[in-house]
Order: sequence, then structure tokens, then C-alpha cells
Amino acid sequence: MARKLLMLMHEMNERLQQESAKELLQFDVVLITTDSQQQQQSSSIISSTKHHGLEISRFCFANEEDFVESLQTNNVQLFLTSDKSEASQATQKGVLSALLDHQEASPPSDQLRIMFCEDAIIQPDTGPTPANREAIQGFAAQLGEIRRRFSLADSPLCFILVTAHGSKDSCASSLLTLRSSGISVDEAYCLAGAPRDPIMPLLQPHFTIRISFSDLEE
Amino acid sequence: MVKMSLDSVQVMSGQAKELKVAPSSNGDSRGSWEEKEEFHQDNLGLTTKPTPVTGRRARKVEGGVFFPKPENAVTIAVSTRVLFRTDREQKVFQQKGVEEYLRYQIEHENEPFAPGPAFPFVKALEAVNARLRELYPQSEELFDIVLVTYNHAHVGIRLINTINHHNLFIERFCMTGGSSPIGYLKAWHTNLYLSADSEKVREALAEGIAAATMFLPEKQTEVSESQLRVAFDGDAVLFSDESERIFKAHGLDKFFEHERDNEDTLLDHGPLKGFLEALGKLQKKFYAKGQRLNCPIRTYLVTARSAASSGIRALKTLRAWGLEIDEALFLAGAPKGPMLDKIRPHIYFDDQMFHVEGAAEMGTIAAHVPYGVAQKHNAKQNTSVGK
Repeated sequence: MARKLLMLMHEMNERLQQESAKELLQFDVVLITTDSQQQQQSSSIISSTKHHGLEISRFCFANEEDFVESLQTNNVQLFLTSDKSEASQATQKGVLSALLDHQEASPPSDQLRIMFCEDAIIQPDTGPTPANREAIQGFAAQLGEIRRRFSLADSPLCFILVTAHGSKDSCASSLLTLRSSGISVDEAYCLAGAPRDPIMPLLQPHFTIRISFSDLEE
Repeated sequence: MVKMSLDSVQVMSGQAKELKVAPSSNGDSRGSWEEKEEFHQDNLGLTTKPTPVTGRRARKVEGGVFFPKPENAVTIAVSTRVLFRTDREQKVFQQKGVEEYLRYQIEHENEPFAPGPAFPFVKALEAVNARLRELYPQSEELFDIVLVTYNHAHVGIRLINTINHHNLFIERFCMTGGSSPIGYLKAWHTNLYLSADSEKVREALAEGIAAATMFLPEKQTEVSESQLRVAFDGDAVLFSDESERIFKAHGLDKFFEHERDNEDTLLDHGPLKGFLEALGKLQKKFYAKGQRLNCPIRTYLVTARSAASSGIRALKTLRAWGLEIDEALFLAGAPKGPMLDKIRPHIYFDDQMFHVEGAAEMGTIAAHVPYGVAQKHNAKQNTSVGK
């Protein structure tokens, strides 16, 4: 699953390069692991990734207590993991994280689909600190820039907005907030309380960024 | 042309004994059709309640906003081009491409669209919802109107602004940015899908979802604001196209023969039978509260079958399905236009473009159900009616 993701990002980097030889915006992938067993096999991990043709610029071996610091030192803007507790730890310390879900339906391999989900039920104490709003906004702006390099149709990158519980007006303000942060969404779904599970196989995101939109507001 | 109501059929022919007309769905026995019409006109004059602006929109239940669950509600999905008029924007898209189209939309974000052909229908659905909420405040058995479009989300703000401008109670929507919306229709148990795109409508029908292509009527006619009126053709809409096949292959005589021989065999169901059923369930909720005479939903069968012969099979089938239709109009081949003009339905479903176009010419809001054998004929004589 993550491998497909990496390949997609690699492809996107290539296309970005195609668009403009001086392209500075790129997806830079850092592989981080806190599993001590894996760390002992560090060299085999590195060669394995090379073997599979995965473009990874940096490897980082940390332990569970301070992996978030490693993330921060490496200027990681988005942390992808399938481990829920790791994700929430990172978020609490101000690093934007997203869960890689294990879905039955495999997402398309020709388009990276990023879902932004407005979660009306975010606890106030697990949100990112205000100081990091800038970081998130910066990341959003860069993502938006990358998207703009591609055309509207046939893009290798696609943004999806899903508002689960709010009314259409809250969806409208989410659209506007994202837009002012630089992200113009391609697909939008306002569920107004309808269950999300039946449409997940249709949405097919590679990962979901859960934010409350006050994170992006000034 | 014979105009008949369900009551009169029993009187006419001895053969109809098995029909057993139950306490008529039309309330107390009214004689001719003309009388009914007057009754309705009085009714219209009386109650044009201005829809209350406060308390009609997001209803609060226990601090949260109340939206019905898709499986409990009657879900009606409409596309942008039938709910609103987007002619100018369509032209931009066709002449200048998608990027220019989206730029145009964003530029005009604060200009609401004008109402489209499905707009009166949606307003009427909301009027019914208002009445249902009065009688059953906690029930989720309501109409749930969903906007399902393969428009790009860049148009989202303009659509939401337009919905607000027209005071529509649409909270759910789905902008797929180009991919097929059919999956979402299925996921949300859609009971009816209305679109301007006949391809999408065909796809939906193939998936078992009631669907129809809507066309803008050529002139504006007034429809009731307090009573939802839905009219259906019989064959290939409520019923299967089996009889039409016979008619097209072997002619009228064979058709009559076949109908006579099979009078006691039920017709198979057509694509819109489920929707009629859903309407019937909501109607019963009004009857249960003593609102039979004042029911804000009224259904019509407008068929070329004739009452004395082929029509009987249609009525028997409806009876056996447990479906009541308020008025059955057997035209025995006469043109449907004038009859529809009298009924003024918010929507009329027919499988033949010939009838849909004829109706639109007279100002009836007609929708084409591209189902059954008639479509092969339609392909040849398809003139595009203004959308």
C-alpha cells in the first residue's frame, strides 16, 4: 500500500520535472521506523527499498519516545502511518499526520487521491498548537501549488473534501478556507450525517487528513 | 377518449368484478372527473401558505441538526442542470473547454442560477415534507433531496449560494469532479435520479435505480405549490415493456388480443414502480392522520391504453401490487398533451420521446425514461428538446 503511494509520488515528481526543468517543488520521502527489530536490519531495509525502486531520500531510525522529534528535525510536513497512536502523538506535537488505512478496495494507481475530512468531533486538546498552524498552512499552500502544475482533467493528484456531519454551509466555509490556504478541491461531498462507509470504496483515498477547519483559519 | 376514474370502471363492465374497488383512494365518491378538478382548484386557492422562513430549515433535535438517514427517507437525486438553468455556462464549456468553464463559474460565484425544470418538483417535495413534519415530527420518512453532479468542486460555492438564495432545503451533495455518480446513487439508496444527461440516466436504470432525463418545457406553466402531482405513463414506465413489444412487432390487433388473453396475468414491473410505491407509502401516512381529502401528494396514470379493454390489465396489476393511484386516465390512443395540461403535474414520466416532446410543447414538465423497446425507435427520431 505504502509502496504504491511512493511510486505515485515518484511519478508525480517526474511529471513536475517535465513541466518545468527548474521545478523546486517535489515530494521528498523520508522512511522512519521505531521498530528496534527493523533497525537491526537497517541495511536490508535500505537495500530492499532500492530493490523495489522506491525513491527514499532519507532513512531515520528512532525510538518510540522521541520519534516525533526526529520528524521535526527532518522538517517532515506530513507523517503517514498505519499506527493510530503514533499518528495522534505526532499530531499533538504539531506534526500533521494521516493514517494509511487498510482498505479492501485498492485506490487507483494512476492518481494520488488525498482526502480532507472535516471531523466535527475533534477533541479540543488533541488539536495542533496555534504555533503550528503556520506549518500546516505552509504545507497546504505547497500541496496546492503542486496541484496547480497539473491540468484540471487527467491530473495525477486529486483533492477530495468530505464533510461528515455539518450542513452545506459548513461545507461551503470549508471549501473557502481550503481555497484561501491554496488548495482548490476537485471533488466535494457533503454527507450531512449520511454514513461514510458505503462511499469509501468509491472515494478511494490513499490517505485522509483529518483536520478541523479552525486549524487553517487565521 | 374516455376519461375514467377508478370508481367508474367497476360500474362499466361486468368483467371487472374481481377488481373490488376498496374504499376509494379519492376519498368520498365523486362523480365525474370535472368535479374533481374544481375541487382541487378551490383547494389551491385556499391554502397558499407562504413557506415559513424560520424553523423550516435546519431543524434542531437534541442540539444536533436533523438529517434523515438515507435508508429511511425517499431519496431524490437531482443534477445541477435539471435543478437549475445553466445554459450560458454549458455554452462556455462547449466552446471554450473545462478550464475556462470553471474560471467562469468561480467568477460568477455570487450570482445564483435560475430555476431549472426540476425546480418546481423539488419545491413541491419540500412542501410535502413540511406537512409530514407537522404530523410526524420525529419521523425520518421524508423526502431527502440530494444534489448529485459530476461537476467539479470548483462550482461548489456557486451551487451552495444558489441553494441558499432559493431557500432550498438540500443539505447533501456529491460533486464527483468528472467520475460517474452512479456508485453514490446506489450507496445512498436513491429512489429517483433526475438528470439532463441521458447516458447517466441509462446507467442508473441499468443499475436498477429509477431515473429519467428532464427537459425544459417550452413555456412556463403554473403548478401547484401545495400539492405534489406526479404523472406516469403505464407501459415501460410503471409496467414492463412486454405489451409494447407486441404492439411494435405485430400491431394494434395483436396487442389487444394479447392483452385480452392475458387479462388475469399481472404485468411485470417497470423502472418507476418503486418510486410510485415510495409515494404511496408517504400518502398512507397522511391518510392515517385523517388527511385523505387534503393529501399533498397526488398520483396519475396517463396511458394510451383504453379503459374497456387493455386498461383493465393495468388496473389489476396495480391492485395486486397493493399500489393505489389517485387518477387513471385511459386515452385509448388520443394525444396526452391536453390531459396533462389539465393535470399540471410537477413531473410526467414517459418512455417515448414523442410524448415527452408533445407534452413539453404544451408546457408540461416531462421526463423521459429511456427504457424498453421504444428506445430503438427514439434513436431515429431524436430531436433535442431544449434543456
